[in-house]
Amino acid sequence: MERHYGHGDEIPGISDPLTRLSLDVLAETATPPPGAVDLLLSAARSARRPAPPAGFTAPFAARVAAMDALLASATRADWSQKIVEGWTLQELVAHLAATDSLVADAIEAPVAGPPLTENDVPRRTADMIAYAGGRTPQETRAEWRAQAEAIRARAAEMDPGTPIAPGGMSFALADHLLARMLETWIHTTDAAAVMRVSLPLPVAAHVHPTADFCARLVPWTMLLSGVDGGARAVRLTLTGPGGGAWHVPLDVQVVARPDDGALAETEIVCDVVDFCFLLGGRRVPEEFPATIIGDAGLALDVLRCAPALSGP
Amino acid sequence: METPGTDDRSLHQRVVGGDESALGEVHSRHYPLVLSLALRVTRDRVVAEDIVQEVFVTFWERPLAFDPDRGSLRSWLATIAHRRAVDHVRSEQRHRVSVLGPRLTEPEPSPSPLEDWVLAADEAARVRRAVARLPGGLREPIELAYYRGRTYRQTAEDLGLPEGTVKSRIRMGLRRLADELAEEEV
Repeated sequence: MERHYGHGDEIPGISDPLTRLSLDVLAETATPPPGAVDLLLSAARSARRPAPPAGFTAPFAARVAAMDALLASATRADWSQKIVEGWTLQELVAHLAATDSLVADAIEAPVAGPPLTENDVPRRTADMIAYAGGRTPQETRAEWRAQAEAIRARAAEMDPGTPIAPGGMSFALADHLLARMLETWIHTTDAAAVMRVSLPLPVAAHVHPTADFCARLVPWTMLLSGVDGGARAVRLTLTGPGGGAWHVPLDVQVVARPDDGALAETEIVCDVVDFCFLLGGRRVPEEFPATIIGDAGLALDVLRCAPALSGP
Repeated sequence: METPGTDDRSLHQRVVGGDESALGEVHSRHYPLVLSLALRVTRDRVVAEDIVQEVFVTFWERPLAFDPDRGSLRSWLATIAHRRAVDHVRSEQRHRVSVLGPRLTEPEPSPSPLEDWVLAADEAARVRRAVARLPGGLREPIELAYYRGRTYRQTAEDLGLPEGTVKSRIRMGLRRLADELAEEEV
């Protein structure tokens, strides 16, 4: 372990050299008592629920944990701040719980909030926000968190390829969890910006499958926007931790795959997080920072259509 | 699957994402410093261990209170540990005052997290004597690094030694000091 002896490493209140020396003597020899880490982890679990670091549910679980960490730091004033879409922080958490509840219902996990009557995000959000109006922010947080954990636990028992259709969108369960990961990540970022909290990115191992999901959505965003990609293809090179390169046919019948050098009419090179946030509706296509090689018109169509699936 | 990062920024990223193994790594890395700070202020191993756990649980529960762009994790944990330890000492003093009455006891002034904190004079003298007893090869790099605030590189240049040798001599010196000071307490 690299240490810089003698300088106190900007530790406040310790500029005296003998005091620093005395601390470093202790630090050089102190060892945790047996079982200290187990005791710590047990106490930590009571304070904030951990997320499993691996498996197909992990990217979603980690973003839920990150949102929960942000909410743990929220002050009374933060809870009533407007974050996005005119929603306060409490209403935003209710919206996440509403969207999650459609997934919970689809996989027969316990559903938070009032009984679910509509398989529709805007209506369910309205119901959940009305329900949250009679509850404290901490109750809203706890119900959202418990439901997210129930989804994770139930999904982990299932085949990730199981098709489900929450909100009327039929995809594999694993992809729906990646969609939940992306939305939770985006809304955590929205809230962190308003609360002026610095939010670290997800680990690369969680960014990569989310980027893969976004790459596979590209032909659908084109279709939804009424742009005919035809038989053409895009090479998508996403840079940064968790990035990669994909060959994306613009025909919805053909699934995007890791780039294998197959012919593509255009190549888009951009940051992996920027691309995920473009699909999530948090980047302006016309101002999107990307390098385009080949058919510029086609590349600009792809970028312009990318946010088509994003919603509140 | 790539190996998760173990530098402080990566550990923080993993803790925010709820990876409890990252908390275990943070504990292993920073336990000695956090304990030594808590022990120096409270002078009670049991209380210090409690404070250590409290500090790491705080980091787990509210990891976004730490911003890696504004300082090191070591410094942040140390600040929390120092504050908690000082709060503990003050609350103990208030308790003693309330039990014994203010006329029967004069509470010792306790260190403030915002003030510079130094060892008691007798302890500082003990540390200084123990340093003086070290063999020259171990004493000189410690005197340069601590008393004169020289960096590893500068200390190595001053002594005409490789940097790696200086680092290992400082560590050996610190361990020897720990043994010396522990023997004195017996």
